[in-house]
Amino acid sequence: MGLDRRAFIKFVVGGAAGTLFTPIPWKLADDASIWSQNWSWIPRLKYGALTADATYSKLCPAGCAVKVKKVAGIAYGVEGNSANELSKGGVCPLCATGSQMLRSPSRVAGPMKKDGDKFKPISWDEAEALLADKLKGLKGQDGKVAAISGDLSGTANEVLSGFLAGLGSKSYYYMPTDQTAMAKAWNGVMGGSGQIGYDLEEADLILCIGADIMDAFGPVVRNQKAFAAKRPMEGDKTLTLVYAGPVRNRTAAVADKWVAVRPDGAAAFAMGLVNLLVKSGKSASLGGFSDFADLAAKFGPEAVAKLSGVNPEALKDVAKALLVAKNPVIVVGSESGQGAGVALSAAGVTLNAMLGSLNVLPEFPKAVASAPDRAGLLAKDLVGWLAAVDAGKAPAPEVLFVYEANPAYSLPQAGNMAKTLRKAGMLVSFSTFMDETAAMADLVLPAPHPFERLDDAQSPYGLGKATYALATAVVAPEKDCKGTPDFILGLSGKLGVDLGFGAFEDVLKAKVEAIGADWDALAGGAVHVSDKKGSAQASLDAGAMSKALAGIKGEGLVLIAQAHLNIGTGKLATPPLNLPTIRETELYGKDVFVQMCAATAKSLGLSEGAKVKLAAGGADISARVNLSEGVMPGVVAAPLGLGRTAWDPYTKGKGDNVCKILAVSAEPGTGLSVWAGSAVSVAKM
Amino acid sequence: MQAKEFKIRWGMVIDVDKCTGCGACMVACQVENNIAPATPEMDAWAGVTHDASNKLRTLTWMLVYEINNKKAFPEYEAAYMPRPCMQCSSPACVPVCPVVATDKNEEGGIVSQVYPRCIGCRYCMAACPYHARYFNWFDPTWPTGMDKGLSPSTSVRPRGVVEKCNFCHTRFQQAKDKARQNGGDPNNLPDGAYVTACAEVCPTGAIVFGDLNNPEHKVHELAHSKHAFRLLEKLGLGPQVYYYSKREWVHRLGDNYLPNEKKA
Amino acid sequence: MEEKKTTKCGGGFLAFVLGFLLSVVAGWVVFPGLLYSELDQPIQFSHKIHTEDQGLTCDSCHFFREDGSYQGMPTNEQCTGCHSDVIGQTPAEAKYVQEYVQKNKEVPWRNYQYQPDNVLFSHKAHEPFECTECHLDVAKADKAPKYYENKLSGYSKQTMKMWQCERCHAENGVSNACHVCHK
Repeated sequence: MGLDRRAFIKFVVGGAAGTLFTPIPWKLADDASIWSQNWSWIPRLKYGALTADATYSKLCPAGCAVKVKKVAGIAYGVEGNSANELSKGGVCPLCATGSQMLRSPSRVAGPMKKDGDKFKPISWDEAEALLADKLKGLKGQDGKVAAISGDLSGTANEVLSGFLAGLGSKSYYYMPTDQTAMAKAWNGVMGGSGQIGYDLEEADLILCIGADIMDAFGPVVRNQKAFAAKRPMEGDKTLTLVYAGPVRNRTAAVADKWVAVRPDGAAAFAMGLVNLLVKSGKSASLGGFSDFADLAAKFGPEAVAKLSGVNPEALKDVAKALLVAKNPVIVVGSESGQGAGVALSAAGVTLNAMLGSLNVLPEFPKAVASAPDRAGLLAKDLVGWLAAVDAGKAPAPEVLFVYEANPAYSLPQAGNMAKTLRKAGMLVSFSTFMDETAAMADLVLPAPHPFERLDDAQSPYGLGKATYALATAVVAPEKDCKGTPDFILGLSGKLGVDLGFGAFEDVLKAKVEAIGADWDALAGGAVHVSDKKGSAQASLDAGAMSKALAGIKGEGLVLIAQAHLNIGTGKLATPPLNLPTIRETELYGKDVFVQMCAATAKSLGLSEGAKVKLAAGGADISARVNLSEGVMPGVVAAPLGLGRTAWDPYTKGKGDNVCKILAVSAEPGTGLSVWAGSAVSVAKM
Repeated sequence: MQAKEFKIRWGMVIDVDKCTGCGACMVACQVENNIAPATPEMDAWAGVTHDASNKLRTLTWMLVYEINNKKAFPEYEAAYMPRPCMQCSSPACVPVCPVVATDKNEEGGIVSQVYPRCIGCRYCMAACPYHARYFNWFDPTWPTGMDKGLSPSTSVRPRGVVEKCNFCHTRFQQAKDKARQNGGDPNNLPDGAYVTACAEVCPTGAIVFGDLNNPEHKVHELAHSKHAFRLLEKLGLGPQVYYYSKREWVHRLGDNYLPNEKKA
Repeated sequence: MEEKKTTKCGGGFLAFVLGFLLSVVAGWVVFPGLLYSELDQPIQFSHKIHTEDQGLTCDSCHFFREDGSYQGMPTNEQCTGCHSDVIGQTPAEAKYVQEYVQKNKEVPWRNYQYQPDNVLFSHKAHEPFECTECHLDVAKADKAPKYYENKLSGYSKQTMKMWQCERCHAENGVSNACHVCHK
């Protein structure tokens, strides 16, 4: 039989029919469909034992008690520590993405030295030798070595400031926040000791003057938990919250009442309340109170209305509520968490004192004996010093250390401040991430990510009791980084400065022992709370206050920069997973939006979406207008945290940095640099 | 579609009077469910951005809306409303799926979305009145190294499939396993044994999660409160997510009311 | 000239049958060999040595954790309880200690029952069943069985498909809802 064409075809057809009775077509189709779902660029998950290690996350300013979730030992998420009596399991939007930030593309890979325009990697030993060499020649000369710290609660500051003191330098500054403004008022001008506290847990009325307690002021998670605990869904509320400020922000959104107060007139509003309380027979056992009460008499409801835009009836209602409440607490600060003055802070202290709510937390004992006192450092004026350096009135430091801070981005008049910082002979940044300050530094010596390092927090500002929390390293470092206090201790050894410890762990162990807390419990996520109270002795300076208050004009267009924690902070740019939480009315594409009400827009000839330029303090930013009735007339609100020029492609180049146009002025009578409610001009582009 | 009856009905009660709009729930949701960050691209030629500010492209299973009472200053009031998937009793998305990639057939009432079966026709997205479903226009890309620690709870979706909130369903399975291991009843979990990522992380505790049918769970009583309401109630989809507010204007925004129409 | 109409029905039919039979044989005998590649485990693990000679029980290495999850393939943490150093004579053990324990690397065991990420399987819910209902019986094996990898889909030959799970669920009255097995 020969194979002709027909037979061949029949053979092939037979073969085809046969394959239908084999697994071939069915299996291939099935496997092909699986193959099409198995692209190699889609990551596969890893499985293993699920663990959660407790630590204290310092990614946000006050810190959150968290548990780092791991699978097979790899950190992938964060959950709250429900055993923590302050945070009760809540986590802020920054700490919630802490595990992702361990691998942020903007992390600094290792110690680096600036070589022309680029960074060149060096070793830790080389870095230490370099700095030891430079600092040897500067030892004993004040003003030659300086440091800026953005971590206001860590004991690492004792090591760093003690080191500076050992070199003969007193130029240690904290980044300006509501805490530093209050320290200037309470510890500086009023001569008090300890730290002002706010017992929100026991309050039945909380009045916030400016301070955005749910978003920007103090320990926001604890503030929110304390608030929520007294407003159960299933019962009656036992707390009234009043927000007095220029914008209907997140605190105002859940408050019982929003009193619209111009940000530049907040102190006048507070004095108006002092006046009404005095008239109702209240007084405070603070030195110089009678002079202060006389000063307050000048702030009757009509005068207050002129300076702060507050309706006289609204002022009287608030005063009435304060008098009726059993445990009223007044929290004062700036809407953006920085830039408030002594006048507002002192008025806030006085109000609390008059209502029996003055709460002073004692300082914990120092571990590093040679370190300067924390309160004294907090009361110093970083912005004032940099302004003096800029004007040539103070020498630029030869070596400037920047720890846990990003001053080139987040100081007011940021553009100018960055130039002044650059005047330092050698700028050293310990930043974990390549932020704006690190990008222009000469030496970047990356500190580990908060989950990778040993750290602590002493009474983060805003708490009602002296509290101590410990952070332990729960993740092995992903980069070649070194704990800054350990680096400094090594360096101090080379320079003959004896701080009394060889390693930071020993410093903290000594601290914990001095406090009388249990290291193991702290390392397990517990927090140490002390019921001890500090001394409430202080005295008011009516003369200085009078001058400060006289500077309030209460008119003209003013700017209020809003700090939203989900957008990030000065030292932590928006984490990639937080980007969808930014509204398109705050940022769209590359445009940042500023908010104003229809009345303000009309007076400026602007409409929704209009392109504008905002100018103040010798700088300007581009933005677009978003109409919002949640901003009182005469005020423009702008979101902080955008306009990054370093970091990574996810956050870089989006919007503009509002810090550039926060115009600084010296508060009359106290000299403190202030910028809350600074003037601004808006022009159509 | 007829509402299916289940013994257990997982649901939420969200207190709009307590939500501060912080966004921690949105972040925790993305971490738990392996949602990649929105890419930083701009298609300049089209004037379109594909970054996170383009809300037509972001995958926000949990999304916090900002609502207001539409009044002028000073009567203006604002509030925040977190919106997960409503896990409707008679969902609009289920009957329209041509391949049955989504179904409501599991005890607990969570509407499932099975990614390998989804063909990406987006009919369900058109059907959902809450805009709770999202389409993967792009393959997920993480910044270099950021996909090292992925959550084992949720598979990574390729482009071309629809996804939505599933009340952190893997946590439900884990809670059942834990109950079995420790002698409990997996079909009668106590309040708090199974909690979604968003409810767990919320700093004010505005999101309360539990079994709506179980009187021992907090949500049971809260959902029956006179201050509780559901979004777009009139559509009759029977959402399992309730909102709670003592403010009348918030209730009125929850559905389409005529100016003089009284709320039911 | 008339064309001779040659009926090749017999021969044509034979060609059909020949083609049919050849493809059936190819499909059932040759194809599986082509589709699957035969691979070995990275370390030739002997269950026999561990269970019979050393007297370990199954749950010494395969156990339920406190939270109800299942420790399937042991990690270095379990193995280095005994094997932090070489304690036996086999070359496989030496290789393990040298290339994995000392380099702090986990062994990339090939999972015969590998399921994709979108599948969620709870061992705890299946505790009443015998392991061998789904897994190869290796408890007394001296050598690890060959791993057959599907060249097209990348999965193991033993990977259970959905219909196998569904059938058993249906037979036992357990829900076949999507979410029971998918994530």
